[in-house]
Amino acid sequence: MDIAFDQLYRSSRDDVYAYAAGLLRDRAAAEDVTATAFERAYRKRARFNPRKGSPRAWIFGIARNAALDELRRRGRQVELASEPIDAESLAGFEEGERSELRLLLGEALGRLEAGERELIALKFFAGLGNGEIASLLGTSESNAGTKLHRAVTKLREACDGAL
Amino acid sequence: MERSRDYDDIAVALAEARPTPRPDFAAELDELVANGFQRDSQAGRGPLVAISDRLRALSPQRLLFATGGTALAAVVVATMIVASIDSGPAQETDSGGGSLLSGLQSFDGEEQSTEPPRLKGLSAPSNQAAKPSADQELSASSASGTQSSGEVQSSDSLPPFSRDVRHRDIERSAEIALLAEPADVADDSAEVFRAVHDVRGIVLRSTTASGQNAGARFELLIPSRNLGDAMAAFSAIDEVGSRHEATTDITTPTVSVEEQLRDSRATIDGLLAQLAAAETESEMEAVEVELRRERRQAAALQAQLEQLQRRADYSRVSLRIETSDSATSSGGGWGIDDAVNDAGQILAIAAGVTIVGLAIVGPLALIGLLAWLAHRFWLRRARGRALA
Repeated sequence: MDIAFDQLYRSSRDDVYAYAAGLLRDRAAAEDVTATAFERAYRKRARFNPRKGSPRAWIFGIARNAALDELRRRGRQVELASEPIDAESLAGFEEGERSELRLLLGEALGRLEAGERELIALKFFAGLGNGEIASLLGTSESNAGTKLHRAVTKLREACDGAL
Repeated sequence: MERSRDYDDIAVALAEARPTPRPDFAAELDELVANGFQRDSQAGRGPLVAISDRLRALSPQRLLFATGGTALAAVVVATMIVASIDSGPAQETDSGGGSLLSGLQSFDGEEQSTEPPRLKGLSAPSNQAAKPSADQELSASSASGTQSSGEVQSSDSLPPFSRDVRHRDIERSAEIALLAEPADVADDSAEVFRAVHDVRGIVLRSTTASGQNAGARFELLIPSRNLGDAMAAFSAIDEVGSRHEATTDITTPTVSVEEQLRDSRATIDGLLAQLAAAETESEMEAVEVELRRERRQAAALQAQLEQLQRRADYSRVSLRIETSDSATSSGGGWGIDDAVNDAGQILAIAAGVTIVGLAIVGPLALIGLLAWLAHRFWLRRARGRALA
């Protein structure tokens, strides 16, 4: 095990999982994708080229391919899983508000298109910047930002509409 | 403003609602990573998958080195095999001295050439005649017609129509190199002339050189039935440096020409009968034109047949006398010149092997590359569609 890969793994394991879980909305599938992504990265670690991007962008590229392969295998977008968002992670909200937000966000995310959900997952779950997202999706930063804003707006409108 | 605050609330809520992995899964994955994912690689993976994984793990530079090294090793091995096959028969008959791959050497210094008169009706076979074309007869190397030590191919490998022929027409050729002291070159040359005379052979061309690079070369025609005696006599003149004999079965073209000649003569007989029976002037003229054409054809076939028979009756022998001086000038038994010569031969073989290898591997690699690109394109599209 080389040090660089170990560092990459430790710094991005939770982010990769969060991205996969946000996109797939299935904990088991997200775990599979996360493990697959890191295994592929480990086996191909000698082929990493720093000139093509950061290690973090590289691991997310692999994770994205694994997640999309999982989506293809299923042949459909995954329906809302039973517990897509950790209730414990909403600790900053009041009890009623937290519960309400959990439900609303869960439903709203489930209604988003997979591409929009991916943007949300990359931005808010994996913590990638707009530039990193643009690089990962092969688009411009402004385009990625616009799409992301649209997705958040949709999410907000969905939440507002439900209230 | 209210709208902006809502957006921020959503963003904060989403960030805080970030899914986190189960502790059990995290621990399991930590262990897998710490072990280098060996559990999966050992569980039911075939050797091909393991090799594929290893190749994928290589960096592009290492992969390039590995591929290049493998290709180089393959070329070296193939070159060694081809070179050993090429030099195999020579090794059996070489008795030492000189390069295995060296051919006839030219001699510098004072030279005298003699072109003895040729016997009437016996022209020296040209190179083309000595090495028959592939469509006329069995190629020496490709159809096993040329063999070391005078072996003749079996009739099993011959075309069907030539298997029933009782007499076989065999063209023979031989090369012999004698090693002599410079002072002995003249005596040895005289011995060669005597030996040729004794077996009723013909000296087509002879070149002798004296001085520092003393030596001699002879191009001889020896009656095929006396070739064994002649080679024995040549071998007795001085130390044999190398000796090589080859045979080519020319039965098939001979039989073919004989049959064509027979048909042509039958046609001529038929035309003569037509000429005798012709009643009008124009009829006679037409038959005579046809007759002239057929006679020309028969004459050409006759000449061709005689040529083939001469090739079977007389063997071409290349004899050279090398001296220790000329051997020393080229580095003794095997020296710089020979090394350069051998290196050139080896490089030529290596180049040939490489070209043949590329001709085989190139198209396959191209097909593989196209298939890989197509698969990659299809995978990208499929992944893109998965999000749609």
